Amino acid sequence: MSTEKNPQEICKECHEKTRIGYQYNDGFFGPKLRSINHLEVGRSKIISSPITITLEFLYLVYEKVRDFFVRIWHSLFPRRPKIWGEHKNTRIVGTLRYAHRNELDVPIHHLKIEFWARTWWLQWRKLSEAYSDYEGNFVLPFDLRTARSWKIKKVQAEVYQFTHTYYDGGLLKLHEERFKVLPIRKKDLIGMSYNLRTVRLFLWEYRTDTMVPRVVIKDHDKDAPQKYSQGRKDALIAQILPIELTKIKHLEQIKLAPETISLQDIQNDYPESLTVCIEKKLPGYTRSDEWFGLRMMNGMNRGYFEPDPTEPGMYWIKYFGVCNYPHNNEYALPTAEIKFRIKENGLPTPVEIHLTGPLNAIDKNPWQKHLFTPESGDKWLYAKRIARVNGGFSTEVDEHFCGTHLNTEQYAIAAYRNLRLNPLSELLLPHLKEVVLINHSADKMLLQEYIPSATALTYEGLQLRNKDVMGVLDWNGWKPMRVLSEAHTLARAENLFWNVVTEYVDWFFAEKEDGIKKYWKEIYRMSEDLVNNAVPVFLSDVNLDSLSPEEKHLAQNRLTYYCGQYGFEKNKNRQVRNGELKAVSPLTLSEEYNETDWNGLKQACSYMIMMATFMHTWINEHQYDDMGEVLYNCGGLRFSEKPEGVLQPESELSIAPDLTRSTQMLFFTNFLSRTEYGFITRNEEHDINPEFKKRLEVHRKAFSDLGVNIDNIESRTNI
Amino acid sequence: MTKKLSLYRIIRNRIRLWIDLFVLWITAKAFGWMLAIFLSFPYRSRMSHNNGIAGQGQMKIVGNPEFPEHPFYAAGKVFPVRVRHASATFLDDAMNCIRSISIKLSHNRFKSPFDIEMNSGQTSLFWSAASFLKFGSMRKEKWGVEYVEYNRLYPEGLKGAQQAVRRHATSFHNVHYYSKTPFLFVGKDGIKRYAKYRVKPFDDEPESGIDNNPSDWDMSNQRVLPHETRGRNFLKYEYEDRVKREGAKYRLQIQTRIAQDDDDPEVFNNMILWDEQIFPWQDLGVIEITEVLDWKESTRMGFSVNNMPKTLGVLPAKSIFDYNSLNYLRAHSEIARKARMWSYWFWGVPPEIPDNDNRNVSDWGK
Repeated sequence: MSTEKNPQEICKECHEKTRIGYQYNDGFFGPKLRSINHLEVGRSKIISSPITITLEFLYLVYEKVRDFFVRIWHSLFPRRPKIWGEHKNTRIVGTLRYAHRNELDVPIHHLKIEFWARTWWLQWRKLSEAYSDYEGNFVLPFDLRTARSWKIKKVQAEVYQFTHTYYDGGLLKLHEERFKVLPIRKKDLIGMSYNLRTVRLFLWEYRTDTMVPRVVIKDHDKDAPQKYSQGRKDALIAQILPIELTKIKHLEQIKLAPETISLQDIQNDYPESLTVCIEKKLPGYTRSDEWFGLRMMNGMNRGYFEPDPTEPGMYWIKYFGVCNYPHNNEYALPTAEIKFRIKENGLPTPVEIHLTGPLNAIDKNPWQKHLFTPESGDKWLYAKRIARVNGGFSTEVDEHFCGTHLNTEQYAIAAYRNLRLNPLSELLLPHLKEVVLINHSADKMLLQEYIPSATALTYEGLQLRNKDVMGVLDWNGWKPMRVLSEAHTLARAENLFWNVVTEYVDWFFAEKEDGIKKYWKEIYRMSEDLVNNAVPVFLSDVNLDSLSPEEKHLAQNRLTYYCGQYGFEKNKNRQVRNGELKAVSPLTLSEEYNETDWNGLKQACSYMIMMATFMHTWINEHQYDDMGEVLYNCGGLRFSEKPEGVLQPESELSIAPDLTRSTQMLFFTNFLSRTEYGFITRNEEHDINPEFKKRLEVHRKAFSDLGVNIDNIESRTNI
Repeated sequence: MTKKLSLYRIIRNRIRLWIDLFVLWITAKAFGWMLAIFLSFPYRSRMSHNNGIAGQGQMKIVGNPEFPEHPFYAAGKVFPVRVRHASATFLDDAMNCIRSISIKLSHNRFKSPFDIEMNSGQTSLFWSAASFLKFGSMRKEKWGVEYVEYNRLYPEGLKGAQQAVRRHATSFHNVHYYSKTPFLFVGKDGIKRYAKYRVKPFDDEPESGIDNNPSDWDMSNQRVLPHETRGRNFLKYEYEDRVKREGAKYRLQIQTRIAQDDDDPEVFNNMILWDEQIFPWQDLGVIEITEVLDWKESTRMGFSVNNMPKTLGVLPAKSIFDYNSLNYLRAHSEIARKARMWSYWFWGVPPEIPDNDNRNVSDWGK
């Protein structure tokens, strides 16, 4: 009997072994990271000096003592819900509107406003509370005598922002945070109405300097529409520190003694990745056709297999390269079209790889074509590497960042701007929170700094590509990936999760039907925000006849493939706003409840939850598996100065990323795979509806059989 | 929900009332004295309505009153009457001003059995002593622009101003005037009632000067319009000519309602109209002005809410926030009128408003 294990067992072992997740505890004088917002591509703000650590410790002690006294202070002077005063004969009136210069006439509905008085002995007395109406107007009736009493030292109106819902003992609780204080001179209260006039709030504003809908974050620590929960921050900081220290060590070494460090050293310093582990046990396997097909189908890439129109049983996966986006001339990013045949075991095997675009630094013809087959010898191996790298890039930029992060953000902004009293806030916000924060961090670290320096696309090119990919993302008509075979576990898991989500959403709509209908106008406004700020449908703003035949073919090829890849039905009846055909379909076009929109709304809610949870989780947690080894896969291969360009073996390090980019890449793929907080079943913040968790638990075994541990499915996109 | 009666509650409420009454009294007295010392005597000025013209004639109570019978308003009774029209507060008729009528049922400068003062507009710019003092303190007039901050802070005040100003009035005679804050009315039947008064032209001439689409932003701008051709005294001249030509005939009307224990305090709120379907306006008398008084005589006149029979007087107020405190304040500012009279004796009557181009002013010095 042979003692050798088969590849599946080795892969399974390595999967278990390389699973990310351990605690960092390096003692009192161990390096510290202040917060996730202090992460950098280069040297993050790590505190390592013992003196600084001691001072930092003392400051933290001071903060704790201060917080303690603040808590004591608040308990001495609590804000009780009782409303003082008998005769509500006077009113505070006003209007809430956005402060952004483009939205000065846009009302903010259903924000809570409270009117508080403070006595000379510092006790708080609530005098009134109300919500703004759909026009943003609010009226706070109060007892003038109580407000003008000699006991009252000062009065103020306070605007509260709805932040999140949570479950306490099975009961749903709303959490609102004070957003703005509006002091009022007590002596100005003279009866009838006191007008706070138009109160302008910088609340969930849309950026005007981006091509895709993004939220304004002026200062991620102090002036952001959301904050990470403390648990999220603590978990991340503990997880990130070891690899951050590794990265810093590498950067210092590269700077001070580059001759003492190699790419292999860098690779060895990071936790062992799946491919490294497998390579040790089964050399060559991770570069084989079998592994290539397996990872394209069920790995991070979750490739979309487009049926070949002429040859039944054959499929194509297409990774589009630099296309016509602004790019540099140091990195290769040709368009890779891979033809697969589905084997008897249901897994795909590559039969052809078509590369379009430059493969070396000399011939820059963007339309040059190269065909590789298994008969191409070593070049087949090189071509697979190029396709893999392009796949990694496309998956990270298109599927991951656009498909889940940016896609979820556009729904998050619209939802947070509008859903307050509508029960959909309870359904959606737990899944939409924090995405804008991590996207903001990604802007600087990844889009502006790392990717333009480690791949072919420039920052401008990335932005244009993001806009184009967002142009094929829509909830309307979206379906999970079609299952090609029993071995297509990703698609099976995706379909299973989609079923769980849609059934859960159906249940929720049935439970909360009255509330959803009652506050339908919130949905209408969310829809309007969503549609008005959506990007145009891909190519809808391009005159194809003005393109060259090659460009036109590429554009149409992309559109066709993207429609399949992102489940985009281009013939849906979409809205034209400001002269643009908007990619995102409206949730409703009616201010009042409209029966015909009911099922569409359920579909849209399911889509939002799906994108923010399973779809993001899948790519996110497989990043280190598929991009945890620099030579196996990376963001971009350099052309090098040789005429062979990227058609060279892995041993040719001049085409691999340099040492700095290598450590940065491993840092990022490792860091981004470390969620460790914010899961559906763990429900750390008690914000996930128990029904959702219950329904997911029912399928624990089925998911497990497909290689998915439901405990690892994120409840939100927060990394 | 009925609260439980307790000795504590009685004592507490009584002490509160005393304190409120004391604050009201001291406020009213202080206000009167401040006006007298800092405005009326040194500047020979009324508090606001300096720019006016007076006339005299007679008023006849209607022959078949439909309002509750009252001995003072006996059917067919004839009173001597003086009226004074004015524009508040500027010395320029062409500005966007509130117009007023003050009625005195006598031919004396002050002494009278019944005075009443009314302004244009159904509602007011203020509603209590507290709001009036705030209104006064936030005037901040500069070249015809005033109450900017007040209008921003108090929407009802702004609305009241929009209703009350009459920029394009063609005559003092064809504006409708309202007493706004109610008065006491105890008729022959001894039933306590509240009463509001108004004056309109006898022949139902359409009201002039109403801006149907006033600006929320520009209400504080009361300046004469660009390219204005009307002079500073055009309304006074028109009234003088009208009286000489055909006289000025008005209809004085009254609105009454029976006092109830559970009346909402808003009944007394001059910003809230009584429903005319339930409490219709009834003709009270007809005023006929046949003679215009000269500037000096007009200026020497004074009106007071204290000049009323006890059964038609000012309603009691409980605090500076009470809607009735507005009339209470008027009643306790008599010292200011006296100081103005003393100033005339001391400094002489201020001169007539000249027809010069000093537009947009509210004091004699400009």
